[in-house]
Amino acid sequence: MRLSKLLAGVGFVTLLCLLYVHQQTEIFRMAYVGQKKSIYFHELLDKNAILRYNIGKKVSLVSLGDKVSENAGFQMPDAYRLVKMANPPEDVVAQQQVSTESVFARVFGIKRQAEAKPLNPSILFGAVKE
Amino acid sequence: MHINNYNRKLNAVFVVLLIFLIFCAARLIYIQLFHSNYLAEIANKQHNSYVELEPRRGTIFDINFKPQAVNVAAYSLYASPNRMRDKDKELAIAKLSEILGLSREYLNNRLSRNKYFVWLARKMTDRQAEVIKGLNIKGLDFMKESKRSYPNGYMASHVVGFAGLDNNGLEGVELRYDNYLKGQPGWAIFLRDARQKQLDLYEKMVLPVDGYDVVLTIDEVIQYIAERELDKAFKKYRAQGAMIIVMDPHTGAILALANRPTYDLNDHASINKDQMRDRAICDLFEPGSVFKIVTAAAALEGKKVVEEDKFFCENGSYKVGSHILHDHRAHGWLTFREVIEQSSNIGTTKIAQKLGPQVIYNYAKLFGFGSKLGIDLSGEINGSLKDPRFWSATSIGAIPIGQEVGVTALQLVAAISVIANGGQLMRPYIIEEIKDKYGEVIQKTQPAMIRKVISLDTALRVKKILAGVVENGTGKLAKVPGFTSAGKTGTAQKLEPNGAYSHNKFIASFIGFAPVEDPLISIVVIVDDPHPYYFGGVVSAPVFKNVAADVLRYLNARQPVKIGS
Repeated sequence: MRLSKLLAGVGFVTLLCLLYVHQQTEIFRMAYVGQKKSIYFHELLDKNAILRYNIGKKVSLVSLGDKVSENAGFQMPDAYRLVKMANPPEDVVAQQQVSTESVFARVFGIKRQAEAKPLNPSILFGAVKE
Repeated sequence: MHINNYNRKLNAVFVVLLIFLIFCAARLIYIQLFHSNYLAEIANKQHNSYVELEPRRGTIFDINFKPQAVNVAAYSLYASPNRMRDKDKELAIAKLSEILGLSREYLNNRLSRNKYFVWLARKMTDRQAEVIKGLNIKGLDFMKESKRSYPNGYMASHVVGFAGLDNNGLEGVELRYDNYLKGQPGWAIFLRDARQKQLDLYEKMVLPVDGYDVVLTIDEVIQYIAERELDKAFKKYRAQGAMIIVMDPHTGAILALANRPTYDLNDHASINKDQMRDRAICDLFEPGSVFKIVTAAAALEGKKVVEEDKFFCENGSYKVGSHILHDHRAHGWLTFREVIEQSSNIGTTKIAQKLGPQVIYNYAKLFGFGSKLGIDLSGEINGSLKDPRFWSATSIGAIPIGQEVGVTALQLVAAISVIANGGQLMRPYIIEEIKDKYGEVIQKTQPAMIRKVISLDTALRVKKILAGVVENGTGKLAKVPGFTSAGKTGTAQKLEPNGAYSHNKFIASFIGFAPVEDPLISIVVIVDDPHPYYFGGVVSAPVFKNVAADVLRYLNARQPVKIGS
């Protein structure tokens, strides 16, 4: 009885030890895998940074401006040569909102209902041949 | 008998084992007590590796957050000569001399050393690294480092400056703000495997603190325009040097600062000190007639003259002390306004004689001459302005017209800004703000007035006179199409080594601002020793015109559009 208990105890401790060793080897294995991925990831990041830098250099004012001004008297355009896109003023936005509300009100209002009417297909597609 | 023998043998074995055990125990105790630290240290060295973690050096931006100095990964090549065979060394020397442009002697010397680590090339280009990796030569390996790179090459080189191989600032903002930019390195103790390779498992780690980003007041577009026009004049007139500063007269923010000769920030290893010098803040020169704005402002502020007072200009020749003063063109009677418009030396001297030396000196000091303005760049100088006690009999005919006085381009642009902004001397600054990597502002520069120099009324009157210089006077070539402009020309004789004024070496200058009604920019243009023309109104005024025209169009284009309802 005592021997069986001893053996069970020894077996349990051995199992725990094996689990611990397995855990440690897994940690190292995963560290190697992670390291490989990390190296690859950083390489990609570096390449990305280098590419961005090279693009930035190519499109810099020094690079573009010198090329343009070599061939033509490059200068800033006058104001009348510029087309600018801008947000409409607030009152215009407000007006649009009001008109949207009125459409909304029309749909759910008690005014005249919209009706579906049959349409002659020839209006849309031209003459229909049979 | 047999049993007795057996017992004796057993006892003997037991005693031997016991002695061995005692010896082992004693040895263990000895090791534990006296050698534990030493052995633990060796074990640590085998299992752990100490690595310094490099912080990210902060980026330098222009006012619109366009990067001017960035970090790019670069590979450095090293060799382990002790692990290389002769065949590998020969191959490495042959290939690397070809790819990297290094001499065979240099490579041979490096690879002959009895070492496990020697640098062969630091921070090479990506392409070079790729090619060398492809060769797969045993004993060669790479270390990744970060390299400071400058996407705009030579642009604003004297402002931005550069950092060295170890990422320490060596010039310009890179040097002055190195403490902010470089950050603090961290460290980590990583585990090493049986092959001594580092594993990404660390025992202890202190993370590096990244450097702060620095935002300049420089606008990349304005800087480019200034550089382009200055370069044209520098080449066209075969000048020795040239400088330009564009400043916001209301705040003192420097929008552009350029010097010639200049250099490419990505290729700073081969430059000389002459190219590296920021002439605009550390070169002293006699300003010539541009200094007359001080005399004019002093006369109007002191109510000693009005615009229509007349001065006889002696038909071009006037004796002051032992010196005979000349005008570049003979004039008879000129009004005060015309004296400045036509840049008459004799007329200006007569006005100065009316004011007296002390008044001229006081106003020159008030305008910021003779002392530092306190710009946040290294190397600014005081300039020189003599105390009236040390003026000679001829000084009253020299200092008011910009001789016997030493100024910097920065002082001139600050002085013309006083007229442009209504009488305030603003402290020039070039650092807009310093931010951390999360965008939080660590330090922000606020515009600061050094002092009130003249009244608003005087500033407006001088402004009108300077507008006349461009309309009717010596600065006609500074007229900006589509905008109003004002300014003053200057042509100063340079001093020969023997102390006499040269007759063929001049400094051509123009200081001005535009538009006159509400100035957006003030500009100083200095061209040192131009040929064959040397008048400020001919050499420097067109540079002002071209820069002002493009910059004003650019600033106008940036204004948001307002749509009427």
